[in-house]
Amino acid sequence: MQDVRAYVGPAGGRGVADDARILSAYVISATIWLLFATAVGLLLSFKYSYPDLLTSPLLSFGRLRAIHTSGTFYGWASIALVGCAMYVAARSGGVTIRNGRVAWLALWAFNLAALAGTVALDLGMSNGSQEYREWIWPATLLLLLAVVLSGWVVASTVAARIGHDIYIANWYTIGAFVFTTILGIVAIVPAYQRGLGQVAVQAFYMHNAVGMWFTFLALGVTYYALPKLLNRPIYSYALGVLGFWTNLVFYPVIGAHHYEFSPLPWWFQTLAIVFSVGMLVPVWAGSGNFALTLRGRWSSVRRSYALPFLVVGIAYYFVGSTQGTIEAFRSLQAIWHLTNFTVGHSHATMYGFITFIAWGAIYALLPRATEKEPQPLWVGIHFWLALIGVTVYVAALSVAGTQQGLTWANGDPFIASVEAASPYWLARAVSGTMMFLAHVVFAYNVYAMTLAPYGAPAAPPARAAA
Amino acid sequence: MNRRGMNDVRVLIASAAAIYLCLAIAMGIIPGRVLSATPPGPGVVPLTEAQARGRDVYVGEGCSYCHTQQVRPLEQDRVWGRPSTRGDYAYATPQLLGSERTGPDLTSIGARQPSAVWHLIHLYQPRALVHASIMPAYPWLFAAKDRAEPGDVVVAVPAGDAPPGKVVVATQSAQDLVAYLQALKQAPLPAAKP
Repeated sequence: MQDVRAYVGPAGGRGVADDARILSAYVISATIWLLFATAVGLLLSFKYSYPDLLTSPLLSFGRLRAIHTSGTFYGWASIALVGCAMYVAARSGGVTIRNGRVAWLALWAFNLAALAGTVALDLGMSNGSQEYREWIWPATLLLLLAVVLSGWVVASTVAARIGHDIYIANWYTIGAFVFTTILGIVAIVPAYQRGLGQVAVQAFYMHNAVGMWFTFLALGVTYYALPKLLNRPIYSYALGVLGFWTNLVFYPVIGAHHYEFSPLPWWFQTLAIVFSVGMLVPVWAGSGNFALTLRGRWSSVRRSYALPFLVVGIAYYFVGSTQGTIEAFRSLQAIWHLTNFTVGHSHATMYGFITFIAWGAIYALLPRATEKEPQPLWVGIHFWLALIGVTVYVAALSVAGTQQGLTWANGDPFIASVEAASPYWLARAVSGTMMFLAHVVFAYNVYAMTLAPYGAPAAPPARAAA
Repeated sequence: MNRRGMNDVRVLIASAAAIYLCLAIAMGIIPGRVLSATPPGPGVVPLTEAQARGRDVYVGEGCSYCHTQQVRPLEQDRVWGRPSTRGDYAYATPQLLGSERTGPDLTSIGARQPSAVWHLIHLYQPRALVHASIMPAYPWLFAAKDRAEPGDVVVAVPAGDAPPGKVVVATQSAQDLVAYLQALKQAPLPAAKP
């Protein structure tokens, strides 16, 4: 990336070109993990319909399942959003990224953690099939180190800002690093994790890893990218602050709704359900705030290639999270719990919300950083393949899960639930193929925005010639 | 520059950390501590060495991504046994309650399906026994040999599913895993006092 235009940053700064290099490296690295982890996911989806496909220990369902989820979580979404958070901290503060060397070190730590965790899982070494913390402890420690290092970069960059106020985007991203550091430590200490005690910690961990890390990072970069792309201020700063505090207080309590009807104390489950209803406050405050920022500017959305991704992300944030609240009620969990419905929900949120926001932020920030634009046609193909893919995916698994739950409630033999879900599993494999193709197109667009030479295939914008 | 309150990065970090730390202690560490001390229920015993090794195979192969080990107090779960109690999990670390039931619940598979012969064939090729099953086959837990040696556990795989001209022999891992599956039984609860 030697050809990134040299640019002298503010006094004492290390130059915007260095920032562009850091953002590019994070996005390229994240994209490689996205391709790998979703290729794994695609293979898994076909194994539902063809269980004897590629029977081998290294390609077996039980080992690859955790490689798919942890790879998309920590390889793709974490690295992508952390890179964006660093860049947002610098641009929103009118400075360049501080402690750039630490940013590179953090990127290595993220990648080494993901590599070590993935290889160990494929060899059958796991931290006990506990969702989103399956990596063996050395890999988890490296991940924790990466979170602390990158958090340090973001916080020191924000501290060095020119303006007085800390912009709301940075509240969210700094919060994400603080919460996840504490969460990581709580999850790794074994002293209070025996038997059912570990179930309680798992309930806390798995939902907080989603809601205190990815949600905060994604909302943070949206609070920067959305007003920037629309060229208008966020509708309400106060709603953003309300969302921050209510998400912080409500989210940590809701984890046990993943263990309804389990032997965890009944009141503990009830508390989780009550706070799941409370989650409507930050979800509606956040998505409402973004929607009101967008009001009357749909023509801008049509003209931009980055904004449609953010709009879909915001819509899925609203729909997926509201669905999560409704799903938490016992009457519905009695049918949907332990079925594919939950898998559909997690793709609505981790893909429809988190991944679309990451894409929107990358398309918003990266071309401005490197001064290389992707071709709008290919961005459009990426958008529609991913949007149709994930929507069909979520719909198919929601129906499959409902069918599973109804056959159980009906007292049918167990195999009836497998047979009832099979056609929808095939639909999932087809929609998953669309999603994977979208990622291949995205990877090409990332190439166009970073490593591609100026000129073909992407031309630098005219202003860069000055 | 005079930056006070939430516009001081240190204050922002400290206040967010303080609130979250309290919630992490209240919702993670304390429930974990209290429930970790749950005594074993009546009749709940630790696993033998072979069963514990089998449990490690179960964890490493990710069985619990499709098989739960929790019976809910719901009508549709009666087929899996009595509702699970806290004491059932006293020796179950790492916990294997699971989050998806793509395959049957295994809380009491040892009582429902006690036969080692059935389990070995089923692990080698599930579709040899259950036609519509989508469970993965685990041939790497077995060895295909020209002839069995003394002490070998030979698996009676149906002709169509066995490698031609070979005998299928269970490895130690397969035998351990089956020992674990056979051990999965619910201890009966003592009858209620009149």
